[in-house]
Amino acid sequence: MVAAFALSLFHWDLLSTPEFAGLDNFKQLVTDGATVRAVINTFVFALASVVTHIGIGMLLALGVHRTMTRGTKYFVRTAYFFPFLVSWAAVALIWKYVLDPAFGLANYYLSATTNWLASPTLALPTLIVVDWWHTIGYTFIILLAGLQTVPAQLHEAARVDGANAWWRFWSVTLPVMSPTIFFATVITFIGAFQIFDPMVIMTQGGPDGATRSIVQYTYEKGFQSFEVGYAAALSLVLFVVIMVVTGLQFRLSRRWVHQ
Amino acid sequence: MKGKLLDLVLVLGGVVMIAPLVWLVVNALSEPIDAFQLPPRWIPRPPTLQNFQQVPDLIPFAQMAWNSLQIAVITTAGALLTSALAAYAFNRLRFPGRDQIFSVLLAALVVPVQLTVVPIFIMMRWLHLVDTTVAIWLPALVNVFGIFFLRQYISSIPRELDEAAIMDGAGHFWILFRVILPLARPGLTALGIFVFEASWNNFFWPYIFLSSPEKMTLPVGLVSLQGAVGGGPAVVLFAAITLVVLPILVLFLIFQRSFIASIASTGLRA
Repeated sequence: MVAAFALSLFHWDLLSTPEFAGLDNFKQLVTDGATVRAVINTFVFALASVVTHIGIGMLLALGVHRTMTRGTKYFVRTAYFFPFLVSWAAVALIWKYVLDPAFGLANYYLSATTNWLASPTLALPTLIVVDWWHTIGYTFIILLAGLQTVPAQLHEAARVDGANAWWRFWSVTLPVMSPTIFFATVITFIGAFQIFDPMVIMTQGGPDGATRSIVQYTYEKGFQSFEVGYAAALSLVLFVVIMVVTGLQFRLSRRWVHQ
Repeated sequence: MKGKLLDLVLVLGGVVMIAPLVWLVVNALSEPIDAFQLPPRWIPRPPTLQNFQQVPDLIPFAQMAWNSLQIAVITTAGALLTSALAAYAFNRLRFPGRDQIFSVLLAALVVPVQLTVVPIFIMMRWLHLVDTTVAIWLPALVNVFGIFFLRQYISSIPRELDEAAIMDGAGHFWILFRVILPLARPGLTALGIFVFEASWNNFFWPYIFLSSPEKMTLPVGLVSLQGAVGGGPAVVLFAAITLVVLPILVLFLIFQRSFIASIASTGLRA
């Protein structure tokens, strides 16, 4: 980390002698439109990722937690968890074909002719969907485990007091589950801020920077155009963003997470 | 009635979730001329293994699988060992600065690997280790999360057991390997599964450090294969992906119970 900070003060292409740059790299961060775009993309991706993972994951967990036949429960749990086991590289390649405008599954079943990954407006949302498909199984299992810790007696007591299903969820299930939800939120956020693989494999950050993430831009600067100092400065931005957002979540958690 | 409807929705959702994986396997098993048809076929007719036979013509698949396996095994064994030793030291030994060092380690927990990749790349260049498998497993031998996780686990094992062993004249290594680690087996298993899975599926690090095909791991190899077959329908690529994905899915079906239990209890994520 210290090394990353030191590097960020230099201009260096890995071959010639490093040249001291002071805060040049950091000034460039603010003026470089591509950096600003990458930071915005990463925030949009992370926010959408958290909302869709926690929201739909919660619905799934509630749906599966009810009484179901064993076979149905087994199938649903396994089916949603399977994609999580597949490496990002394989996921990204499979989806590139699923989304192919000519022979992909997506357009066939949606009766569309969209070129999902080439559209400046649709490319990022499409990657959010692919990421959701890949990791929802994890969120779902964590939330389901949290749901199973809610004592049945509490529900019974609330029922005796005349609470309806919605009120029982709001006043019993959610508070007991809040530490689990908090944990899942923090982990999803941190993971989403580090997103790299699908951008590199599916869109190369395109079209026109619409899907470029912070980490991917760091990679381009550090290992493709060999501006090592600038790449180090970018990676520090990522670090600071993760620190601040995580710190903020811990602070806010005091208001809603029950210990 | 309402419950049945919800079941149906969940099952249909499950079918949609696995559809891309079924499509993958079906196309991998199809003759090139039958693959990627619309409307999609869900049963290969007739099934053939010829695509699988062509994989080694395009990428050194066996070598890549061996690289992936070697890196994953070394990483897992190394990370488990160093985590166990460090966790024991941080929990059971007293030495000056112990808690300070531990809090610095905790801070390292939130440092993303992407921050360290540029300096480590430069270091590996000095050591002439770029484009070797060593560059992948060497930095992974110490796993901060593993230390933290095992320390928590070990702290729940009663100290009376250590004291009894000390009475019998046991040293630290004896206590760690004969008393504590056997009791920490569930924790070690959960950590081991996840370190292995994370290493096996890792793309970022090998993508940056490895460039020659015979050094690559499977995820990077798949992406390079995609470059080789171009943008068209690629049954051979699908066959290669199937070879990577299917063993993991089968292993999961066998060990599903302990696997899910370990995630649910520890929240580990690759």
